[in-house]
Amino acid sequence: MTVGLTVDDVRVTLGDNEVLKGVTLHAEPGEFVTLLGASGSGKSTLLNVVAGLQDVDRGAVLFDGVDVTRRAPRHRKVGVVFQSYALFPHLTVAENIAFPLHAARRPRAERAATAQRMLDLVQLAGFADRKPESLSGGQRQRVALARALAADPAVLLLDEPLAALDKQLREQMQVEITRIQRHVGTTTVAVTHDQVEALTMSDRVAIMHDGRLVQCATPEELYRRPADEYVARFLGEANLVEAHGPDGRSPVVTGTAVVRPEDLQLVDADTPAGRWVFEGPVQLVSFQGSRYRLELLAGHAGTILCSLPPHTDVGALSPGVHARVACLDPGLVHVIDHRRPALDHVPEVVA
Amino acid sequence: MNPPLRRALGHWRAPVCVLAAAAALLFYVPFLVVVATSWTGGEFVLFPPQGFSLRWYASVLGDPEWAQAFRTSLWTSAVATAVAVVIGTLGALALSRLRSRTGRRLLRTLFIVPIAIPPVAYGAGLYLVNIGSEPLYGTFVLFVLGEAVLGAPYVFVLVANRLEQTDPTLHPAAATLGASWPMILWRVDLPLVLPSVLRGTLFAFVVIFDEVVLSVFLVPVGGRTLPLQMLGASQEAFSPQLTAASTLVSVVAVAALALFGLAARIRKDPP
Repeated sequence: MTVGLTVDDVRVTLGDNEVLKGVTLHAEPGEFVTLLGASGSGKSTLLNVVAGLQDVDRGAVLFDGVDVTRRAPRHRKVGVVFQSYALFPHLTVAENIAFPLHAARRPRAERAATAQRMLDLVQLAGFADRKPESLSGGQRQRVALARALAADPAVLLLDEPLAALDKQLREQMQVEITRIQRHVGTTTVAVTHDQVEALTMSDRVAIMHDGRLVQCATPEELYRRPADEYVARFLGEANLVEAHGPDGRSPVVTGTAVVRPEDLQLVDADTPAGRWVFEGPVQLVSFQGSRYRLELLAGHAGTILCSLPPHTDVGALSPGVHARVACLDPGLVHVIDHRRPALDHVPEVVA
Repeated sequence: MNPPLRRALGHWRAPVCVLAAAAALLFYVPFLVVVATSWTGGEFVLFPPQGFSLRWYASVLGDPEWAQAFRTSLWTSAVATAVAVVIGTLGALALSRLRSRTGRRLLRTLFIVPIAIPPVAYGAGLYLVNIGSEPLYGTFVLFVLGEAVLGAPYVFVLVANRLEQTDPTLHPAAATLGASWPMILWRVDLPLVLPSVLRGTLFAFVVIFDEVVLSVFLVPVGGRTLPLQMLGASQEAFSPQLTAASTLVSVVAVAALALFGLAARIRKDPP
C-alpha cells in the first residue's frame, strides 16, 4: 500500500515555544522525501505529527486526501524507524518483525511467513531467533526497518535512522535503505541533519529552519537554485554576493547571487571585468586532496571562496598576491530575488 | 575498568580492609551466635552453647503453637505480598506514564511514606481504624492490607527503576505498530518488568514475613503470626526454641534468595 501524503499548514506549540509555524508539504505516492535541518528546526516534530505521536494546534495531515489528523497512531498504518530503533528487547528478531501483525490479530502462519519474507528483504535470513541485544547496530537498524514495513504501512517514517551508526556503515545503509524503499514503493519521510544522507537517499529534500519549511525540491534544484540565503549556505558552500539590477549596473540591490566555489576558476588579468569576476589579495591557499581551497578578499564582495581542481598550478598564489577568479558561465549563478515576496513554500517542481 | 585495589588505595589499603572486616563481623556475628545457641543441649539461650543437640529444632517443629503461628504467617504474608506486588507494579507503571513533574513527585512520595513513617505510629493508626470498622474487626483483613502497604514500596522502587532504564520510544513504537494499550501493557511492559516484579515479590515477602509491629496491633485475638510467637517467646521463656525457630526461618530465606539468584543466572545464560 502506498499513499500520497499531505501536511497542510500544521502548527504546533510546545509550552511557549512555537515549534512548527505553519508547515505545508506534499509527497507523491512512493516518493522519498527527507526533512533536513539543524536541531531545533522542527523536523522531528513534523515527523511525529505525521505518525500521530504529536497533536497539532492547527492544520491537517491527509493520507490520499483522507484527513487522519485526529486518528490515533495505531490506526494510521504508519511504520516508524526510531533513532534508537526501539526494538523490544524481550522478543526475538522474528517476533519483533511480526509485532504489527500480532497487533492486527493476523494468524500465526501469516506472521511467520511475513517475518521470513521481511528478513529476506533486509538480508537477515537466519537471524530470526536471535534477541536484539546480540545484534550489531547495523543489524538492529535492518530489523527496525523490517518491522516498520511488515504490516505494509501507508507511510514509512524514518527518524534519524542512521545517526547511531559509524560513517562507513552509514554510507552502506544509505544505499540499502534506498534499495528497499524503491523495492516496496512505500511513501517515505525521513528526518536527518546530515546533508549527504539527505541528498543520497531522497527524491526531494525539504529544508526546515526555525519551524518553517523553507524549500522542498530535488537535491539538484536545492543546490542550484536555493530559495534563500539560508538554504544556499546550509547545503554545501556558497559565496553570497549582492546582486544589482538586471544589467548588473543598477545601484539598487535587487537580490543575492549564489556563486558556488567550484564554479569559479582562475582567470588572467586581461580578462574583462564582468559581473561575476572577483579580484583581490589571496588570503589562504590550502590543498585538500581532491581540491584546492582558495580564499580571496574581494573588495565589497568580502571573502570569496574558490574551489579549484587539484591539477591547478597554484605556485604563484601565496597569501597577499593579487588574484582574479571568475564564473564564466552566468547560467551557473543563481540570483535570489528580493523583490519577490518571500514564499512560505516554493511551488514544487514536478520531475 | 577499575585499577587493582592495591594501587588504587595505596597505604589506605590496611585501614580499609580492617573496616571491611569489621563490617562483615557486625553483619554475621549476631547471626552466627543465634545459630550456635540453637543447638545447645541445655535449657537456656547461652553462648557458647552447652554441647550439641537438635532437640530444640524437634521441639519447635513438633510444637502445634509454633506450627500454627508459622501457617498464619505464611498465608497472611502470601496474600499481603500479592496485594503489595499489584499495588507496587501498578504504581510504577503509572509513574512511567505520568508526564507532569509534580504528579511524578507526588506519586514517588506516596510510595515512600510507608517506609518513612515509624511503624508503631502506623500500627497505632491502623489499630484505631480497625476497632472502628465493625465488619472487619476481628478479621485479618486490615492486618493483611497494612502489611501489603508496607511491602508495596519495595516492588514499586524496583519496577520503577527498571521502567526508567527502558528505551522511552518503546511505547510510541508499539503504538505506531498498531498495538492498543492493553496489548502494550501485556506484550511490552509486563514482560520487561517481570524480573523486577519477581525480585520485588521476594523483598516484599521477606519484609512482610518478618514484620512484628503491625502484628502486635492488628492480629485478631487468638491469632498469632510467627514474629508475634517469637516476640512472645523472647519475653516469656527465652528458651532456645526461639533461636532454633529464627535459624529455621533464616535458612528458608537464604535458600529462597539462592534459588532466585540461580534462576536469574539461568535466564541470563542463553542455552
